[in-house]
Amino acid sequence: MGYLNSILILGGINVLAVVGVAVLTGYTGLFTIGHAAFMAIGGYTAAVLVVKLGQPFWLALVAAGVAAALSSLIVGYPTLRSKLKGDYFAIAMLGFGEAVRLILNNTYAVINGAIGFTGIPLLTTSTLVIILDIGGIILIRNFVISQYGKNCVAIREQEVAAELMGIDVMKTKLWALGISAFYAGVAGGLFAFYMTYLAPSMFTSSKSSDLLAGVVFGGINSITGPVLAAFFLVVLPELLRFLFVWRLVIYGLLFVIIMIFRPQGLLGYRDINWASLKQLLARFNGGRRPSQAVTREGGR
Amino acid sequence: MAEVVLATRDLSVQFGGLKAVNRVNLTVERGDLVGLIGPNGAGKTTIFNLITGAIAPTEGEIIFRGRQIGGKRPDILARMGISRTFQNIRLFPQMSVLENVAIGLHSVPKYTIIEALFRLPRAVRSDREVNRKALEHLARVGLADHWADKAGSLPYGLQRKLEIARALAASPELLLLDEPAAGMNNEECQGFITFLRQLHRETGLTIVLIEHHMNVVMDLCPRIYVLNLGEVLAEGDPREIQNNPSVIKAYLGERRRTASA
Repeated sequence: MGYLNSILILGGINVLAVVGVAVLTGYTGLFTIGHAAFMAIGGYTAAVLVVKLGQPFWLALVAAGVAAALSSLIVGYPTLRSKLKGDYFAIAMLGFGEAVRLILNNTYAVINGAIGFTGIPLLTTSTLVIILDIGGIILIRNFVISQYGKNCVAIREQEVAAELMGIDVMKTKLWALGISAFYAGVAGGLFAFYMTYLAPSMFTSSKSSDLLAGVVFGGINSITGPVLAAFFLVVLPELLRFLFVWRLVIYGLLFVIIMIFRPQGLLGYRDINWASLKQLLARFNGGRRPSQAVTREGGR
Repeated sequence: MAEVVLATRDLSVQFGGLKAVNRVNLTVERGDLVGLIGPNGAGKTTIFNLITGAIAPTEGEIIFRGRQIGGKRPDILARMGISRTFQNIRLFPQMSVLENVAIGLHSVPKYTIIEALFRLPRAVRSDREVNRKALEHLARVGLADHWADKAGSLPYGLQRKLEIARALAASPELLLLDEPAAGMNNEECQGFITFLRQLHRETGLTIVLIEHHMNVVMDLCPRIYVLNLGEVLAEGDPREIQNNPSVIKAYLGERRRTASA
């Protein structure tokens, strides 16, 4: 039971962080390999607020998100202003992630640097994680179907046209980055109060790539894809535990296979919702939907 | 005399050693349908890029409705009322036809991000309103049946139309069309001429048109500028342009000779 509970909590925390990255990468098209830094900022902020300043847990979680979102401006403003994209933005985020980790590593006042921050109470429960996951997913879904979300997609699809249609590209990207950082921050807060211990080594760039992997694996332009992938990616290494060291090989192999056969991700451009379920049922009942066929006539 | 919507004064831009646009003076009045022609590399698209803010001028001024706009950001200019289409189509291919037009309608959401996150009534109402208006725009260009299709899956000719619909949805003061009839055959060109003429008559919109199909420009545009090597070579009505010796030499002459041969 305790084991299942721990998978549920760690999976749920991963879901929250990955859903945020989905907005930035899956919808806005900005790749990031530094979001573990926002988890770290959120985690340490929440821990300090509760342990050192005696604030309530819920307030600490909100502050974790806000601190992460504000810190995203530090990296977001200069990079997005100079229109960094693609690999260049990803590398800037990698640099930011490593910088944050090294700063934490060498800050011995209050947070104990590389030795680690101990004595955090266990306050994160599976119920809380599930509630925050559901709430967080609903808010993100609302965001992506709103005009703000549409603007994000327009930028991903065709940035030049988006700007010439009047979309404030930098502001929209900063919002996407801020929202994704907020989610990572809250996830970091939950993480701190589940592990009851924080060390900078928990937030390496490989943690960041796990978050990105959730989105790429789950599918771009999708919420349900990354949600399932984020949970699955936490469960999978556990399921493969009997293979010992080989499990990481299989994990890697699985990624290669998915990227070859479904480069847009498992649920790329798709979401599981009532409409899609109805469509699926209709297909099982023998009904074919003619309008769904993608025709490619004459276009280039 | 009608209001001058767009004017350029000695507009120049230099890329390294190349003067792509050199001391160009254009005047476009409200309700005009001005043609911009010239051989490849004459600087036509570069002028559009200057007017829309995609590149900044090295010298000279661009005046839009009485204000100097040279070097302003493209999104600000778009919101001031300059809309364009592209020589190589630039739709949002994975978005639906309806969503493409919706971006043109409201590039700045009419509600706050908090209202968006919690899907409060104002956001729902605004989105519904945008969808309704977008459908109207699609109906006007005859694309209403395709509203749910992905823009990238439309046939080429319809993609061109959708680009115009998207530009129109922004209710611009000035519409810049960059080779809208490119890739169309003669018959399609005729259809396009009818479409654009009707659009211009109904909306009274100010339009600048770059086009290589001479019949389209000569048919539609009462006033034409001819560019060559970044400079204005001639200006006038279709008859004057066709009889201008330097234009014939630089551009039309070659065509005419091949046509009569």
